[in-house]
Amino acid sequence: MINYKKFTLENGLRVLIHEDKSTPLIAMNILYDVGSRDEDPEMTGLAHLFEHLMFGGSLNIPDYDTPLQLVGGENNAFTNNDITNYYLTVPSENIETGFWLESDRMLELDFSQKNLDTQRNVVKEEFNQRYLNQPYGDAILKLRPLAYKVHPYRWPTIGMDLDHLQNTNLDKVKSYFFSHYAPNNAILALTGNIEYDQAVNLSQKWFGPIGKREIKPRNLPAEPEQTDERILTIERDVPSTALYKVWHIGPRKSNDFYTIDLITDLLAGGESGRLHTKLVREKKLFSEINAYMTADIDPGLMIVQGKLMKGIDIQQAEESVKEVISGLLNKNEIMDEMEKVKNKFESSTVFSNTSILNKAANLAFYELLGDPGLINKEVDAYRNVSHDMVIETVRKFFIPSNCSTINYISTRKEK
Amino acid sequence: MNNLLRNQPMVFPIEKVVIPEAKSFRLNNGVPVYLIEAGTEDIMRLEFIFKAGQVKEYLPLLSSTCNMMLSEGSQNYTSEELNRSLDYYGVFLNQTAEKDRAGIVLFFLNKHIEKVLELSHEILFRPVFPELELNSLMKKRLRWYLVNREKVQNLAIDQFFESIFGKNHPYGYQILEQDFENITPSHLLSFHTKYYTPENMAIIISGKINTKTAELLNSWIGNISSNKTKSEYSVNPVKGEKLKKVHINKSGTVQSAIRIGSVTINKRHPDYPGMKILDSVLGGYFGSRLMKNIREEKGYTYGINSSISSLDLTGYKMISTEVGQKNYKKAIDEIYKEIKLLQTVPVKKEEMEVVRNYMLGEMLRMFDGPFALAESFRSAWEFDLDNSYYYRLAEKIKTIDPDEIIELARTYYNIDDLYEITVGAE
Repeated sequence: MINYKKFTLENGLRVLIHEDKSTPLIAMNILYDVGSRDEDPEMTGLAHLFEHLMFGGSLNIPDYDTPLQLVGGENNAFTNNDITNYYLTVPSENIETGFWLESDRMLELDFSQKNLDTQRNVVKEEFNQRYLNQPYGDAILKLRPLAYKVHPYRWPTIGMDLDHLQNTNLDKVKSYFFSHYAPNNAILALTGNIEYDQAVNLSQKWFGPIGKREIKPRNLPAEPEQTDERILTIERDVPSTALYKVWHIGPRKSNDFYTIDLITDLLAGGESGRLHTKLVREKKLFSEINAYMTADIDPGLMIVQGKLMKGIDIQQAEESVKEVISGLLNKNEIMDEMEKVKNKFESSTVFSNTSILNKAANLAFYELLGDPGLINKEVDAYRNVSHDMVIETVRKFFIPSNCSTINYISTRKEK
Repeated sequence: MNNLLRNQPMVFPIEKVVIPEAKSFRLNNGVPVYLIEAGTEDIMRLEFIFKAGQVKEYLPLLSSTCNMMLSEGSQNYTSEELNRSLDYYGVFLNQTAEKDRAGIVLFFLNKHIEKVLELSHEILFRPVFPELELNSLMKKRLRWYLVNREKVQNLAIDQFFESIFGKNHPYGYQILEQDFENITPSHLLSFHTKYYTPENMAIIISGKINTKTAELLNSWIGNISSNKTKSEYSVNPVKGEKLKKVHINKSGTVQSAIRIGSVTINKRHPDYPGMKILDSVLGGYFGSRLMKNIREEKGYTYGINSSISSLDLTGYKMISTEVGQKNYKKAIDEIYKEIKLLQTVPVKKEEMEVVRNYMLGEMLRMFDGPFALAESFRSAWEFDLDNSYYYRLAEKIKTIDPDEIIELARTYYNIDDLYEITVGAE
């Protein structure tokens, strides 16, 4: 059981606090309710570039990192389709420095043209390192526009075209800041060696004076229902042929969410997952295979991806994946495994909540979803999934007309 | 930072790093056990470590294959039964084979201690190394290997180890495709019999430790008999290759991988804490000189770092980065420039303060929670060191002066001794 308290400042900043006196540290997580889905299709990648710029200096502090390191702190950040999330840990006696830094960059950024130019290059190298210079690295870049035709999830967080970032300038970046970064569009979570009263006082002192801002309303086009199976074949000089299959699923807050989560665990949780057991170990069709869901706030995707063993036909591999998925309908086979994945989910939740950083990130994200109490309810929600729910969900989502497939064919001749 | 309007809060120095001491005892058969009580949740981390790493192998891949095959079938269970059972009890099993040591680490809810020990006993001491499972593992591993060899960073690190440790040394030799065909069940059996023994092992436990742990450990593990062959290092000392600069041409890449470094002292040497600090200044954290110069100032890379690592026979230091094709030569020049600066110009007081406090904060993180504690304990214990090593490190962080850093940089970063590995399109 994770105890937490919540309060809201007058400017709309929501603050969550969880005390854990077993650590000398405090974790501070600030979530901004803006991600790559909020971008203009002509200016994709801006949310992520902006995350880089947030370290380039704020109104009163020329450099974010150095003062934090000076008090023994460490920090990082990530951007995804839905949110931009900044986090740090710091020895508890120096938590006020964390407030000073985070509130100043919420107040107003102050970075230079040089900083913008440099970080554009850094992001270009990040793009090259993650996607272009890795075998199979472009598959995920091809998958999104295959599965989504309208919704902004059709582009990756890093951007669909790096030229977009070349077209941005300081003015555009500043206006992005004021329409998305604001106390009324953020959630602050503090966990670790901190007292509630101390957290309230420091939040009021540092964040209280920042005024509310007008947030650009979110008005995203819904993805129309897919009606036909989509198949894309790509040929590449890679060692093995790979198969990617994705299905549209419901939004994060739908009833299906935990059922899909459990299905991905039945398929690919641990060494004893069904895809691995049947297709890697028994039939030896794949050298590796995995299943996961994107867990996006708007309707997301379930993804199965695997690399084929040498000489295996991709049609045969694909049929075998479909068979394993239909196997989920077989009650006699599945009931024991349901208990297994539920136990594993419970223990992995306990493990995840040993880290103050995870607890802070989870509290902030669940608050965004509307209920920080989810941090204590997820295990029950997952345990409550029945086999009938699995059957219903498999029949609803795992049908060809809801599926996009990439056949990523190796052209390499092997001796 | 002097004329801030919203005043910078006071900086409180990190006075004291407190490290809980591990308790220790021996099982009936002499195996040492270390217990670290920590944390708030009812979980445990249990590690079995053996002197059964790469350094012991007489065939490439032997140590890692033996380790991976431990869970592929035992006298009482098939691999599928073992894996299902571990998953059913919510246990996370990591199998690890490193350069010096190999073993398993299990994470679980402490109420399952008895089941975990039963399964550990099967995995560690009753594996049967079935031929079918071995063959399919090696076929899979060959596929993984072929994919990994497509990545410039893997080609670079493999070549780096070959260059600095020597192409015939088990720390250094590179894996070839045919190595995946050479291992048989009898190789595994004999490697296992020789090295997975009570004489070669230790147990590290942390978390909220179940009170029955000692008793249960003795009943499952304490009666494993010894075959009296204590493993000895008969391995040759490391000897680097003559050629200091190696470029591997890989066409079609958009970034080149760079690895620069050499062998150096390890944790047993009194200069090691000072070297940790020097390494931090150079490339050990986000505010390091390499990061500031090559990423934050020039934008040549997404990331660059340096590290210093300890092995049983030696240590090594390494700078690593992936850099856009057109800038990689410039990046290399900047790396050498930064090393030379450290050898000639004293680190300024302000930068020293940042490094000191960052590193002290890092030490708090190294001992925060049961998992971090166990890992930190292990990484001193492996070198016959205890917490006094960490107290020495903390003291050095607080007191080192800039002249000492210059001295260390001159002694240990002789540019002529450094190897330079690059991989990418020419």
